[in-house]
Amino acid sequence: MAEDITGAASINDGVGLKEQDRLLPIANVGRIMKQIVPPNAKISKEAKETMQECVSEFISFVTSEASQKCRKERRKTVNGDDICWALATLGLDDYEVPLKRYLHKFREVEGERAANQMRANGGDSSKEKEDEQYPFKFSFIGSTSNDSNFRPFD
Amino acid sequence: MRQAGTYSGIVSGGISGKTGPHLLPLARIKKIMKRSGEEVKMISGESPIVFSKACELFIKELTQRSWMVTIKGKTRTLSKEDVASAVMATDLFDFLVNLVSDSGGTHL
Repeated sequence: MAEDITGAASINDGVGLKEQDRLLPIANVGRIMKQIVPPNAKISKEAKETMQECVSEFISFVTSEASQKCRKERRKTVNGDDICWALATLGLDDYEVPLKRYLHKFREVEGERAANQMRANGGDSSKEKEDEQYPFKFSFIGSTSNDSNFRPFD
Repeated sequence: MRQAGTYSGIVSGGISGKTGPHLLPLARIKKIMKRSGEEVKMISGESPIVFSKACELFIKELTQRSWMVTIKGKTRTLSKEDVASAVMATDLFDFLVNLVSDSGGTHL
């Protein structure tokens, strides 16, 4: 029963639980995908499965970057700001703004104290990070500042 | 007129309530995070929350790009190959290149 870190599917389903552990549920992933395509569009099961794999890889990739930062700074706990920082570092700085806002709302609920700390700690990396390496601008991502695509924290 | 669920869900159910605002299960996200490397020791409670939104954005973006490939082929079914093409065409998704190449072979 090989636990393959690279994520390549080596075993089919006898170890259902392990496979499930490393992927997000296909129903959830599919639901999000459906929000993007037109109503009459179809999404193949294999496409959803591929997306599941991609998301898990995304999580691992970003987490790894964030945890390396923590290690360098001699911190044990990966927090939301580290995730935001890692995303910016990996070129996904368009995600940073909506995520920070999301995180902010969460922290407001948790307590004003945590929110102040985020303001103190976070935000500087986005100014440093320049996007010439990744000239990626995707309109619906970039416009999440005010649009309805961005789900309010409700 | 009170907006049901907006505040009460947060206060009572907590952020990780099962019918909460998150589209993706936080516990599963946390498990995947922990599998990403030995150096990942501790994860703050908010990290999976941030990821749930980040993953949503990621899925949406990759789906959008994949769909653009789909419609070029004049079909209405988004296929695995469309996802692979979108990955290949996007520098930002370089980290996925091996993954989508592999999935053509021994797929689960």
